[in-house]
Amino acid sequence: MINLIVIVISAIMFALLLVWWRWPAFRSWIEAPKYFMLHQERRFDDKPKG
Amino acid sequence: MTNFAEHSPYRTERGNAQTLGALPSIEYSLIRAHVFASLVTLVISALFGILVATKFTFPEFLGGHGWLTWGRLRYNHTQGIFFGWLGNAFLAFFYYAVPRLANRPVLSRKLGWFLFWIWNFAVVLPGWVLVAAGFSQPLEWAEFPLVVDAFVVLAFILMVFEFVLPFLKARLSDLYVSAWYTIGGIIFTMLAYPVGNFVPELVPGAQGAAFSGLWIHDAVGLFVTPFALAIAYYVIPATTRRPIYSHFLSMVGFWVLFFTYPLNGTHHYVYSAIPMAAQKGAIVASAYLGMDVILVVTNLLLSLRGSSGTASKDVPLRFVWFGVVSYLVVSLQGSGQAFMPVNRFIHFTDWVIGHSHLAMIGFGSFVALGGIAHLWQHIPGTRYNERMMNWSFWFLAVGLTLMVTDLTIAGLVEAQVWESSAPWIDSVRAVGSYWLVRTLSGLPILTGFVLFWISLVTGPRLSEATTSATSRVAQENNVAFEEIPEVSREILSTGWLSYAHVVAFGAGVGFFALSFLVLAILPGKELADEIKRVAPVTMSTLTASEQRGRVIYGREGCAYCHTQQIRFLAADVRRFGAPTEAWETKYDYPQLWGTRRIGPDLSREFDLHPRDWQLTHLYNPRLVVRDSVMPPYPWLFSGNANQPTQEALDLLAYLQSLGRARQLSGFEQQVLVSNVRPATPDMAMPREASARATPPTVPIAMTGGYSGSAPVLHPSSNPGDLQEEVSRGGTLFAANCASCHGAAGRGDGKASSSLLPKPANLTAARFSDERLSSVLWNGVAGSAMPPWRQLPAEDLRALVAYIDSLHVPEAAPAAPEPATLLLGKAFFIANCSSCHGVEGAGNGPAAAALAPSPTNFHLKKPTEQRAWEVLENGVPGTAMPPWQNQLSGDQLHALVEFVRSLYAPPQENSGQ
Repeated sequence: MINLIVIVISAIMFALLLVWWRWPAFRSWIEAPKYFMLHQERRFDDKPKG
Repeated sequence: MTNFAEHSPYRTERGNAQTLGALPSIEYSLIRAHVFASLVTLVISALFGILVATKFTFPEFLGGHGWLTWGRLRYNHTQGIFFGWLGNAFLAFFYYAVPRLANRPVLSRKLGWFLFWIWNFAVVLPGWVLVAAGFSQPLEWAEFPLVVDAFVVLAFILMVFEFVLPFLKARLSDLYVSAWYTIGGIIFTMLAYPVGNFVPELVPGAQGAAFSGLWIHDAVGLFVTPFALAIAYYVIPATTRRPIYSHFLSMVGFWVLFFTYPLNGTHHYVYSAIPMAAQKGAIVASAYLGMDVILVVTNLLLSLRGSSGTASKDVPLRFVWFGVVSYLVVSLQGSGQAFMPVNRFIHFTDWVIGHSHLAMIGFGSFVALGGIAHLWQHIPGTRYNERMMNWSFWFLAVGLTLMVTDLTIAGLVEAQVWESSAPWIDSVRAVGSYWLVRTLSGLPILTGFVLFWISLVTGPRLSEATTSATSRVAQENNVAFEEIPEVSREILSTGWLSYAHVVAFGAGVGFFALSFLVLAILPGKELADEIKRVAPVTMSTLTASEQRGRVIYGREGCAYCHTQQIRFLAADVRRFGAPTEAWETKYDYPQLWGTRRIGPDLSREFDLHPRDWQLTHLYNPRLVVRDSVMPPYPWLFSGNANQPTQEALDLLAYLQSLGRARQLSGFEQQVLVSNVRPATPDMAMPREASARATPPTVPIAMTGGYSGSAPVLHPSSNPGDLQEEVSRGGTLFAANCASCHGAAGRGDGKASSSLLPKPANLTAARFSDERLSSVLWNGVAGSAMPPWRQLPAEDLRALVAYIDSLHVPEAAPAAPEPATLLLGKAFFIANCSSCHGVEGAGNGPAAAALAPSPTNFHLKKPTEQRAWEVLENGVPGTAMPPWQNQLSGDQLHALVEFVRSLYAPPQENSGQ
């Protein structure tokens, strides 16, 4: 049980770090949603009133 | 203001910004409705909590009717916070955030109102009413009855349609972490809720507890945490106008949370009968969860870098910040609590209650309040009253800090007492002042909630045509959106990532299924095999009366104060008896193991207390245990303890069945001989070897029958020391004995009217030190007198000295005539020796079968008046019959003289 948990979590972490390290474009992709969220905030703020 | 479309990365990707289309509509009316419902239920639930806390100090307060008893209020307190407050608050946030994050409206306004009515008028309100009326489910975080659970599941299915479907139409590259948490929380709670609420009704005892443990943690981990983090991840960038520090880290945090949280559940049952592999798996998962929380909180706090000014001015953001810090503290605390060296000490104590309040108020509620306050500023026409909001924050922060600190210390105090051999009631006495402080700390918290509500309804009224609240705040605080960089087009054009959310969804469901497989299904199978292997074939099911009593036990919330699981710990075994084995609960649907001890464990209640003691205790616990905080249950009686209703008798029958199978099975011998469960050697913990291999012959809680090893406790022969002992004994007597024996020891305490035989009148006889020591050590079988050998020897000696002092020496009577004594002896041998023995030593041929045992007149000398009373009237509740119709006055007189002449205690040191 303990081994299973440790192996799975380690594998997830290792895979994510590997992708992050080997594929710089992934970094831009994975960070994109945080800008989309702000983009939407601004769109709502700029919504014409009335 | 910058024309945002000009700079949007989505313009470069999609050709022009218009592809995002028109802004989706937001259901402001539903937001307002859920905010209103959340605050109404929050205040009501907090009031329930304060009533519950008050009852620790004043157990009789509102204690006359079942609707307001502690257990039912406790159920409604936690379920009200869970469904009423947090559920509505999260729903309000979804209606606000989902259209923004998905760039699509929620599925349907009509569906939204249907969901609102389901949530509040098919779940919260009927749940409260049914629990108060006595229809509930005695499972932690699953207290609403099954009929309500069905509507909860329906509500989560509706949430999938209302909130998850809009996201599925969105591009993965747009899916912000708050959206992930919203989707994950809804889907996984929808999956976990039935497993935690329905399965324990189908799977008994230890196996059911494994499922319950999962839900206890999933309620926090898959409902409160994801939704609160969704709010935190939303409010921080929306307020600071800057993106979060790292979306990559936020996604790592998300996936590790959803993988490890469901694996945590069994850490609520460390040292239990659940297989050790599952326990240790949960402990390791708890450690990982702590690391994950550090990652998440670091990311959130780094997202606030350079925004300290905003955080100090913006109260909603301050609420969220406080919640995030609490999340870190409570999670690290939780991980630590799972470790065995900590768990063995603090589990079941108020420490855990402090922990859960820090989680539900400090984290969940603070973040939810921050979320509500934030969105309130964005609803057209509304704005909060900033001054009130500020006061609300400080009342809540101070109240919560006081409460958590107080309960944490109280937990340490309780744990310390439980480790000792002191009577259980000493732990209750030790934390009485802490419970009072806890109650008082609830008042600023309630005030904070009320002020928050007032803040929302007393803010400036704005017309819907005015500038949106966000823009106003941004302008006032001089905060601007951080420049948004271009997103790489290369990665956005990568085909396989279009399917990443499918893979991710599959992985999430896989994690969820894995948790139930490894923490519930596999341990359950192992337990089933063990039960089949070791359970006695003669083990009987509960009778109909006992089964009804079990329902009452659950209905009144008894399992929230009394566990039914003796852990594999020396301290537990020493106090309560042999550890609880899985087979003992094989007929328990659902399990009633409990996760908290305010009163003692009840696993070995069988044969522990006599019937009249139990009934008196249920009618009003303080009649027999002066400082008990247990609620009274007068509605189970017709006016007094001597008139139990059928419900009281059913509950009594159930209580007296607890541990019966174990005691009647001869299982102890099997355990010792076979060293059972070779398949799980881990259970034999090195430091707890004594817990399993050598259970004590006489646990603290048990009567254990007569013990020949009872020491004879002689009070001091030094007059000065004796005086001190008498004084100390008086204090002990008042605390432990007076409720039955009366303040003056005349056997007329508050409980005496409902006990049979009556408590002894300690002024009506001279007792030898040997007799008193034996009674204190062993109790009196067949009466309500319990053993007190858990008290230190010096306390027992002080009690002997005090009881000695109660006897007023009689004026020296004239020496009885020898002829009278001879006559008395003759009558005694003819009529009394079969019970009391020829020599009056209480050892006649019938004595062994009698409880209470016949009096040994060598060790007890009744006063003349008492001897007459007994001979004339007998002793109700014992085998001693009245003799006034069988013997003449002269004969009775001869008997009185004779039995009083027998007193001949061994040499005693007492100065008396």
